[in-house]
Amino acid sequence: MKNFFRTLGLTTAVALTATVAQAETKVGAIFDLTGGLNIYGIQQNNALNLAIEAVNAAGGVNGEPVTVVGYDAQSELAKYTQFAQTSVLRDGISAMFAGLTSSSREAIRPIFRKAKIPYFYSSLYEGGACDKQTFVTGSSASQQLNVLIKWAVENYGKKIYIMAPDYNFGTISGHWIHEFAKQNGAEVVGEDYLALSVTDYAPTIQKIQAEKPDVVIALPVGANQTGFLEQFAAAGLKDTIGMVSTNYGSGNQQVVVSPQAGEGLISAMGYFPSVESEANTKFKSAWEARYGTDTPIVAGAVDVWNAVHIWAAAANKAGSSEPDEVIAALESGLTFDAPNGKVTLEPGSHHLRQDIYIAKGDNNHGFEIVQTFAGSAPTYENEKCNLIDNPDLAEHFSPEEH
Amino acid sequence: MELDYLVTVLLSSLSSASILLIATLGLAVVYGLMGVINLAHGEFLMVGAYSALTATQIGIPYPLAIPVAVVTTMLIGAIVELLIIRRLYGRLFDTMLATWGLGMVFNQAAVLLFGTVSPGIGMPQYNFKIGGYSLAAYSIAMILVAAVMLAFVYLLMTKTVYGMKARASIQEPKMAQAIGIDSSRVNTLTFAIGCGLAGFAGAILLPIIPATPSMGLFFAVKGFLTVVVAGPVALTGSALTALGLGGGASVTASFMTSVVGDVFFFLVTALLLWLYPMGISARWRRKL
Repeated sequence: MKNFFRTLGLTTAVALTATVAQAETKVGAIFDLTGGLNIYGIQQNNALNLAIEAVNAAGGVNGEPVTVVGYDAQSELAKYTQFAQTSVLRDGISAMFAGLTSSSREAIRPIFRKAKIPYFYSSLYEGGACDKQTFVTGSSASQQLNVLIKWAVENYGKKIYIMAPDYNFGTISGHWIHEFAKQNGAEVVGEDYLALSVTDYAPTIQKIQAEKPDVVIALPVGANQTGFLEQFAAAGLKDTIGMVSTNYGSGNQQVVVSPQAGEGLISAMGYFPSVESEANTKFKSAWEARYGTDTPIVAGAVDVWNAVHIWAAAANKAGSSEPDEVIAALESGLTFDAPNGKVTLEPGSHHLRQDIYIAKGDNNHGFEIVQTFAGSAPTYENEKCNLIDNPDLAEHFSPEEH
Repeated sequence: MELDYLVTVLLSSLSSASILLIATLGLAVVYGLMGVINLAHGEFLMVGAYSALTATQIGIPYPLAIPVAVVTTMLIGAIVELLIIRRLYGRLFDTMLATWGLGMVFNQAAVLLFGTVSPGIGMPQYNFKIGGYSLAAYSIAMILVAAVMLAFVYLLMTKTVYGMKARASIQEPKMAQAIGIDSSRVNTLTFAIGCGLAGFAGAILLPIIPATPSMGLFFAVKGFLTVVVAGPVALTGSALTALGLGGGASVTASFMTSVVGDVFFFLVTALLLWLYPMGISARWRRKL
């Protein structure tokens, strides 16, 4: 009973402070701070906090400071839905920033759709997510593969082998590889889709040698699949067969693989720390002052940074944090001077038009940018998903369905 | 199908089986000699990998970093036995729960200590050719490592005084105590050896499988199944099971896909457990 009164006292005190405190705008965040996915989640969360601080330092949103109600999803899908419900029902948030895997996004998307709260998903992914409340700031598979395959065919040759994880990111990317290979007059000579638990890639490496491709498109996800890159190099194949990727580096794999295996690997993504721009220099110095220089910044972190700034710009433009008004402002063709170049939020598809960089692994766990494809449009999403004309669309478009 | 392809598949499948055996042996020793299933085995492997990695980072050459990893994991294993395992003898499910929890603690401790990404040490860039196929020498060398490791454990258990005491303590605990064997001390050592073998596995496999906090999970699943299918004759049983399941899965993956390889692994496991609920070695006369 004594405890009860103590708790009661505390609750009242909290309630009192809350009423005394000035008005504030709340946003929600759910990222994987622990568990296997935290190689991405910790940086996403760091980027969120840094971005909110930057927004507050610039005067907040409509004169109100922004506060974050954050949750750790522990790399578990069930936690995502649980915390998403909590944030909608209890926290009273104006926007949500959450998720890494496509399964986490698909699990919570309906919750924010129903609550009519704008939801920002910030990770590279297979593409095709489409509804009025969802905004995607990462690059989609077709956005990256479009430029990467053209580059790979020009630089290595026309015979392509696909190594990808065996779930929707891998298989949908595989579909796009076939599509863009055809467009570029190339041919897919073999493909291997692997479970995330595989650690021994000898069978894949033999199949690659049997098919004699000019280039392997490798999409390794998770720590185990990073081993593939190492084993490929140790088998002595790197000198004769090119290797390109749309996600090598997205989880700092270039730090994990040895310099021998990482040198010369090609990756195409929406951000690399070595991007040269004033915005990136500023962003990097703010990041390093706060989090140090131990781990390079991943693309997913920049995607979160961009999401927060775009949301804040929309809320300021709308003059309100009310979801409907913010979404209307988000659909007005906003642009943002991001660390990865100028990005534009496409009003119809809610995806970003952004630069895609082709970068080459160096011999010191880093990347150098080889080529920049400025202002790459999310072509597939723009074609399928027009939320201005069809505001009621709620789909996950996939090229495999037709 | 050309001959060179077949030979390559055979060699690399043998190497896959060896990797599974290397990763499983410590678990088999602890289960076979103590009747304890250590679900933190994968995390001990991870601790071994990080110990070796840290040792190389402070300038110790890799071959010497392996013993460092073994000693570190043995010490941690002994402490865990004294603090946790010893209080739960004979309570199989409680030990499984406790070690599972311990694994989570280790996993998160590794995140806090080392962060989520650490530079790997890379595989030695040696390779050789069979016909038109080239193979990484280090992976193939794992066949030899597994054989040596198996022989070492076998000799340790059959030819040394400790081995005899350890087997006596588990087979005839009361008799062993009556003739003056301090079975609790023997058990501490056995558990430490099991953990040391996991540490060795983590260190020797470090070039192939980079150190990450969650690297143990995969080995926990397949290693656990291997030991369960093997049954009471842990050592010989595990060697055979690793060869059959691990090698079979790898051959299947070579000719079909890795998903079919995994399906093979789990289906055969289920089938064997249906045929031999107590493990394939339940009726063998051998004891090790």
